[in-house]
Amino acid sequence: MVYSSQKPPVCNNMAAPARHVGRYIQKNTYFLRNNFEQLWSHRSFGWTPSLRQQAAETNTESTDSFVIPRKKTWSKEAVLETLASTVGRDPTAHPYLFQDDPYLSPRTSNEFRMYSLSQESGRSAAKYFVNSNPKFFTKDFAEPHIPCLMPETVSVLLEEMSEEALKERISLRKVTAAVDMYDQLMQAGTAVSMETAHELLDLICLYCDKDPVQGGPQAEDTEEPGEELRKRKTRFRRASDVLRATWRENNNAERIFNLLPERDTHCYSALIRGMVKHGAYAKAFSMYTDMLNNRVTADVHVFNALLSAAPEVRDKYKERWDLITELLNHMKEQKVQPNLLTFNSVLKALRRCGFLAKTQALCTLNEMKAVEIAPSLASYDHVLAVFFRAATAGESNTDVLREVMSELAGSSLTCQDPDDVLFFSSAMRLCMDNKDLELGYKVQSLVEHGENWRLLGDSYQQTVFYGRFFNLLCMMEHIDVVLEWYRRLVPSLYYPNHHGLRDLLQALDTDGRLDLLPTIWKDIRSLGHDNKSDLVEEVLTLMARDTHSPEVQEAFAVCALDVKSVFGGDRGRQSLEWSNASLSHITSLLLRANKTQEAWEMLQLFKSENRVPNEGLLEDFLSACRSHGSPTRAVELVQLSAAFCLSATGRLAKQALEFDLTEEQRAVLSELEATGEVSD
Amino acid sequence: MASHTSRGLLSLGRISASALGLQRPLSRVTYATNVSTNYSAGKTGLPDRGAGKFARRPRRAPGEPRTEKMPVDQDWTAVYPAAAPFRPGSVPLPVRMGYPVKRGVPPEKKGNLELIKIPNFLHLTPAAIKKHCEALKPFCTEWPSALDTDARCDAHFPIKAESTDYVSAGPSVRNPAARTVHLKVKLSSLNLDDHAFKKMLKLVGERYCRDTDTLTITADRCPLRQQNHDHAMYLLTVLYHESWKTEPWEAEKSVADMEEYSWEDSPSQRNLLDTLVPVEAAGEGGGGGEEVREQLLGRREVQEYKDSVTRLKNEGESESTVMLYKEAVKKVLNL
Repeated sequence: MVYSSQKPPVCNNMAAPARHVGRYIQKNTYFLRNNFEQLWSHRSFGWTPSLRQQAAETNTESTDSFVIPRKKTWSKEAVLETLASTVGRDPTAHPYLFQDDPYLSPRTSNEFRMYSLSQESGRSAAKYFVNSNPKFFTKDFAEPHIPCLMPETVSVLLEEMSEEALKERISLRKVTAAVDMYDQLMQAGTAVSMETAHELLDLICLYCDKDPVQGGPQAEDTEEPGEELRKRKTRFRRASDVLRATWRENNNAERIFNLLPERDTHCYSALIRGMVKHGAYAKAFSMYTDMLNNRVTADVHVFNALLSAAPEVRDKYKERWDLITELLNHMKEQKVQPNLLTFNSVLKALRRCGFLAKTQALCTLNEMKAVEIAPSLASYDHVLAVFFRAATAGESNTDVLREVMSELAGSSLTCQDPDDVLFFSSAMRLCMDNKDLELGYKVQSLVEHGENWRLLGDSYQQTVFYGRFFNLLCMMEHIDVVLEWYRRLVPSLYYPNHHGLRDLLQALDTDGRLDLLPTIWKDIRSLGHDNKSDLVEEVLTLMARDTHSPEVQEAFAVCALDVKSVFGGDRGRQSLEWSNASLSHITSLLLRANKTQEAWEMLQLFKSENRVPNEGLLEDFLSACRSHGSPTRAVELVQLSAAFCLSATGRLAKQALEFDLTEEQRAVLSELEATGEVSD
Repeated sequence: MASHTSRGLLSLGRISASALGLQRPLSRVTYATNVSTNYSAGKTGLPDRGAGKFARRPRRAPGEPRTEKMPVDQDWTAVYPAAAPFRPGSVPLPVRMGYPVKRGVPPEKKGNLELIKIPNFLHLTPAAIKKHCEALKPFCTEWPSALDTDARCDAHFPIKAESTDYVSAGPSVRNPAARTVHLKVKLSSLNLDDHAFKKMLKLVGERYCRDTDTLTITADRCPLRQQNHDHAMYLLTVLYHESWKTEPWEAEKSVADMEEYSWEDSPSQRNLLDTLVPVEAAGEGGGGGEEVREQLLGRREVQEYKDSVTRLKNEGESESTVMLYKEAVKKVLNL
């Protein structure tokens, strides 16, 4: 008990922070409680002499009154986020969604796509079951509640004819049902409020008067707007474009629109945006003129849509630009404040305005600065596209990109426009075309900064970006750096295609690191590119071109045997056809490592595959036989050469006669020599 | 839940392995073989749809584990950032675990269930802990410099409340065991006089530990920790105030209720006085009985005797106390 006259100030100080400012710190710890002191300040009891003395003693020790600092508060996720920020990226690991097991992780890009798609489809199948049978999923195990695991309502509950039922159908996105309900309400004469009408128009225009695909077995399976397909091949993209809905004449949206008693900005804007989204550009502009005639002010979304549609309704560059300026002037007159999407639409339209684009793009950027709207990645992407056409890659310089990168360096980017994801791949394409390594590194460091990797887009865009970056590296950098990046990127971020691997082989060749070829071949096999004949042949050619030190030759020979298994029909799936070059390369590699038995088997393969070995190969074989001292083999070799009717048979026979042979062998050889000379 | 020890499970594994007897080779084989053999049935069991392409699909080769590609100076905190089961393909250590094969070594890590069952702390290497501590420093406030010794902490904050939080993997974060609160107070820091102290001891019973002079109040009746804490504080308050009050019926406290032995009015005192008073009275020649008694009680030997008897009764029998008693008796009886 340590109370004395000095203590009360301590007491008060301690009492204040005792009231909880936030929630408990979740640790197993001793809480020091102060409520006890609070109690004591109200009661004063006599102290026994011993206790007072004790109090006096302790007083001399702690003369300073201390202040307990006020407790800090933070959000629920703050501690987890902080701990997560201490964790970097693991370069050998696959993306987290896959099982981290050598058998179960995807090794090729096809497997990557398959596994991620199957995960997504499994998830959506489960969601479908949960939503269609909510009676089996009533018990909520999760504490605290996790809303996305419980069944959602997907079917309409209200059946009667009322505005609530209409609202419900709109919120569940059932387009046809909503339209029917609206018609019924109209016929019955019930008034529908303006907001509901707005929402209904929005719904119809967004989905172009068709029900969106819900996820059950439907005919249009490839058109999945809500799903995230991890990787789309090009053919998928075209399919989804083709199946995009087109705006029909006199569809429900227009009909309802015409039936509305009064039409305000929101109605017009819904219709115009729907028309632009689904391809009815001319109609959109005519609706806009209607709007102007009826003296209804437009909003920023209308202008954004019209600006993006401007290049579609005019053919000449000048006319397009005039239309755009006219729209912008209207915007100014109607005092509509532009936003980021407005400027991005202008820049996107400028891409199709030919020679006018360069100056006007810069003017647009200045306008953006004047209105204090920061350009997003999409704006920069359009500007880059304007200044650098692929056709004129040779003469462009990278100053614009340099300025853009210096502007963006070190910033954390967020996605503000759907086209933002295209920026990085086009920037890297520029660096690649102009062979600017430093700029490429700057772009890569921007991607690695913080959360900016999210703006790389889907896995297709990611592959394109990294493919270009790797191409740039292979062209320009020393092999050690290339290999370091290779280890960092492959296969956690990027599955190289066979062009990328060919670039890598070229880089290896340039820097004379052909001893790494066996490891690269292993990677080629695991990436699934061992069915590309040009790649395999390239590997063989590089290995067989020069002679190397014995260990390297040994490694090459082992690798060559592995390559051999790629050919031939012992695999279930497509295997490559033998060619003359591949056969001879493998044979010579085996010979150099003194694997004569295997080399002999290779020569037999020549016969079975109807290919003719070249003479240099046979001479090498003969010299190898000489060094090993196997005369029978030499005789068989000459016989083989005779079977192929090669002109070198005679020469070979002469050389073979220098071995120590038996009499029959000598006889055979001399006969072959004779026939060889005759056929010469 | 991180409350069991790995050793317990290991021994369990061994016991079960030896108890299986004949089945022992089988159980060892099941966790010593490769994972890939399990797939032999699956892949090649495709129905033959006719000769040609579909006749036999080659079995998918198990890939190289990524430990081969890990550089020696990699950032381990990135490989195991959070608690995760043991993955043999991701941990580049040649660990072996389990009951050794006959005349052999414990099975290797590949396909080893024993390594997966036990909790591992691969995510809490010293480097990781250092990083975490650095990152969590902004959340902490400074420790007051005046509280640098335990004694001072006890002096300023005599009541300590202890509660435990539980973390486990599962759909729910709640654990009913987390609601208990233990309140610990040293009774010397409370202002209790003799009667209050004794009454407090009687009220709390087993919750008081004499050796450490600590009263522990455990509250777990209420569903929430805050409620239990308030309840415990309330109990402490009530105990304190009640022990200071004196009820009228406390006057009926008998010798059997006393906590410790007191020599006054005890049979020992009576016996001694009965023994000594006649001796004194005989010596002095018949003074008042009361005076003699008082005089006797004031004498030193009698005091010593009283001390030794009290000690013997309170502290129990030991060498020293019995010796003291013997000395005191000898002195009192002038032997």
